Amino acid sequence: MAKIGVFICHCGENIGAKVDCTKLAAAMGEHPGVAVSVEYKYFCSDPGQESVKRAIRDNNLTGVVVAACSPRMHEATFRKACAEAGLNPYLCEIANIREQCSWVHTDSDQATEKAMDITRSMVEKVKRNNKLQPIEVPVTRRALVIGGGIAGIQAALDIANAGQEVVLVEREPTLGGHMAQLSETFPTLDCSQCIMTPRMVEAAQHPKIRLLTYAEIESVDGYIGNFSVRVRMKSRYVDIDKCTGCGDCITKCPAKKISSEFDCGLGKRTAIYTPFAQSVPNIPVIDKANCIYFKNGKCKICAKTCQCDAINFDMEDTFEDLEIGAIVVATGFQVQNNTMYGEYGYGKYPDVINGLQFERLASASGPTAGKILRPSDGVEPQTVVFIQCAGSRDPSKGVRYCSKICCMYTAKHAMLYSHKVHGGKTHIFYMDIRAAGKGYDEFSRRAIEDDEAAYLRGRVSKVWQENGKLMVRGVDTLLGRPVEIAADMVVLATAIIAQPDAKEFAKTIGIGYDEYGFYNEAHLKLRPVESSTAGVFLAGACQSPKDIPDSVAQASATASKVLALFSKDMLEREPVVATNNEATCAGCWGCVLACPYNAIEQKDILDRSGKVIKRVASVNPGLCQGCGTCVTFCRSNSLDLAGFTEKQIFAEVMGL
Amino acid sequence: MSIEEQYRTRAKELLSGGAVKMVIGYGKGSTSDRRRPLFISSTDEVDRLVLDDACIQNLSGYLVSEGLLSDEKRVAVFLRPEGIRAINILAAESQLDAEQIVIFGFDVIGTEVKALKGIHVEEFSDVINSIKKGAPEAKEEELFEKIEKMSPQERFSFWQEEFAKCIKCYACRQACPMCYCRRCIVDSNQPQWVNTSSHTLGNFEWNIVRAFHLSGRCVECGNCDRACPVNIPLRLINHRMAEEVLGAFDHFAGMSKTQEPVLASFKKDDSETFIL
Repeated sequence: MAKIGVFICHCGENIGAKVDCTKLAAAMGEHPGVAVSVEYKYFCSDPGQESVKRAIRDNNLTGVVVAACSPRMHEATFRKACAEAGLNPYLCEIANIREQCSWVHTDSDQATEKAMDITRSMVEKVKRNNKLQPIEVPVTRRALVIGGGIAGIQAALDIANAGQEVVLVEREPTLGGHMAQLSETFPTLDCSQCIMTPRMVEAAQHPKIRLLTYAEIESVDGYIGNFSVRVRMKSRYVDIDKCTGCGDCITKCPAKKISSEFDCGLGKRTAIYTPFAQSVPNIPVIDKANCIYFKNGKCKICAKTCQCDAINFDMEDTFEDLEIGAIVVATGFQVQNNTMYGEYGYGKYPDVINGLQFERLASASGPTAGKILRPSDGVEPQTVVFIQCAGSRDPSKGVRYCSKICCMYTAKHAMLYSHKVHGGKTHIFYMDIRAAGKGYDEFSRRAIEDDEAAYLRGRVSKVWQENGKLMVRGVDTLLGRPVEIAADMVVLATAIIAQPDAKEFAKTIGIGYDEYGFYNEAHLKLRPVESSTAGVFLAGACQSPKDIPDSVAQASATASKVLALFSKDMLEREPVVATNNEATCAGCWGCVLACPYNAIEQKDILDRSGKVIKRVASVNPGLCQGCGTCVTFCRSNSLDLAGFTEKQIFAEVMGL
Repeated sequence: MSIEEQYRTRAKELLSGGAVKMVIGYGKGSTSDRRRPLFISSTDEVDRLVLDDACIQNLSGYLVSEGLLSDEKRVAVFLRPEGIRAINILAAESQLDAEQIVIFGFDVIGTEVKALKGIHVEEFSDVINSIKKGAPEAKEEELFEKIEKMSPQERFSFWQEEFAKCIKCYACRQACPMCYCRRCIVDSNQPQWVNTSSHTLGNFEWNIVRAFHLSGRCVECGNCDRACPVNIPLRLINHRMAEEVLGAFDHFAGMSKTQEPVLASFKKDDSETFIL
């Protein structure tokens, strides 16, 4: 005989103001099988939880329904309370009468009616709930960090410093990411390389970190605590064990006019190269597409130069298979190509550059050794126009979102420029100045007040060349008049976008992404560094545009998540997994194909002599994520999902 | 030599040499215009085989009879193009090993019987490709168009009337080569998702479940339609579902023995973001 306790939470005014909780409690009290039906202002509070526990003990309840907020909010809270009172936690269900009822309805009577339906439906379900036990799976205490920018390095160091093994994978030849390209950083103007390169070296030399550069993730299988990851080690054509990093090959390489990716096209590099002088590891790679030997079959000057015999033109890609317990995705971002703004002349006029290119110009390690010089003729520009939101907040041509860092870096650019070019003039076209963050508003005020950056609120309609100048026509909306400025250089504050292959990569590792290709967190507020896949965490700009402090903070947060995971010998997993009725299974294998987690295998049913008499589907509870896709597909109704069995769902529907 | 004679000779050869253990074909029916399935395992019976324009039933469903193929011996079967497609689906869904099936392929154009060349199912891919491109027969097309032109309300009441006749005998299911589950969802009563009694709700439930279970799988052989004792035009539903999956996923049921089921498979390059 069922003895169900119904606990109706007012959630302060959230539910209580719309749903007549007293009426609801009275109605549920009348429902067959309900032993206790009570209301309270905040059941999630300590006294609230205590009263639930007391009711369970006093009445020997066989099931609990908490009519309150979304189960995503407090299901775990109440299940834990039930367990503490001696009731199997899976005999507790949440009836969502907040998000799905009180918040979305205006009529009180109708909302109360609906709350009754929802609660009754859950009472009927819980009568058919089974006691479930958590599934225990072992944990491999080795983390994989994908991406060797500041976020990846931070996460790797934090995990490694806590004594756990880390494999850090970077697809470029060096660690560093975008931060290594930057000149000075806001709001303190400390040199980016000066704070970045020591961290790169620390990561590379850490005894607990295994560094794989020029490597890409080929495939990810498995599940939290037990991932199998295959890494493609791209061929460098330079033996990483033999090379001493002397750089002789780079000096001698005759192919010298290749546009440098690291310098955003403003500098040149050779075919055998390290992206920048402080690369970690300091081992060059051969760019096969531009190498004279690979193109013509003749040259090999680098090989002749090398005293260590480290050059190997026959090198092929190899694969590393790794056993991994947790994954941190820190794959970063790209800047948008501004050629979609034909009116700004990016790509047409060499002196219209983007923000990242300006960083290279201002950087001491850049192509101009830190001098601000025009790309076209190497002359110091006397007037520079900065155009903010060149792509961001522009649903028609760019992206809808705010790239978050551009207001700050444009202020920084104006400052750096005025420090380096005395008497130079800066004009900044902006839509809004967004400077939320510690020391940020002070910083942008400094650009205006101390460094005389002229901020003009308005958009630019056209940039064209006239008498050796770049003419910028825009509007000053505060004065309500058009402006025309003759500039020597124009800098576009380009939008941050997801990596071009972000969606593809998300599919490789099995995480969700938004319409722009940024990776989705499990919960924007409460689980911001977890992906929707257990054991995969997100750090840095791959999740959304971020500045360095945010990326670092998020990276440390992922490290704490990974370390919490590694603090146990066995992981407890929700027992919400599919099971198959082997007697009725028709063996069509539709479920095997439908399962996104490769959790269903074929199983042979043998007779006594070992002969196969039937093949059926079999669910691996370690891999199953409980999504229920197989259940909906199964035509013979053989698959069922624990915690959401057909009987429970049917009772739930009939209870409405 | 007529095709009927050719196939009788071939059946005799296969049976006498032990290449196949059984030939499933057509024999005389209760009236002169009807044919019924014939299962022969000795050469003496071969002359009872009939092949003419009245041979319309899709015989592929008999191949998945419990135990028939478990000795790994071969079985020959007379099949129209739809039946051949059905073999591909049954093979794709692991219900049979296509290597065990020897096909006596034929098609009927007007009243003329035409032989289809090939022994195993993969040899008929050209035939299947040409049907994928072809249009339905002219007289059927009129009926399809009539239904398509109806407003949703009219179509709903059309089907309401048709389903009102359903007596839940499940003859459509028994006749369908795709309905091979040992326990059908309608026979599962814990819980009873589909009402057993033949009233409007239950009848709609059953026919909609059936339509979905056959989407991307139905080869439009017409077995269900002919089996229905109350003449519900089930082929119209099947045809519509086939058109839907063809239009939406370029999926034509039974193209090959490795074809993935349309509702269970997904492509990683799907444009929808919910595909992880």
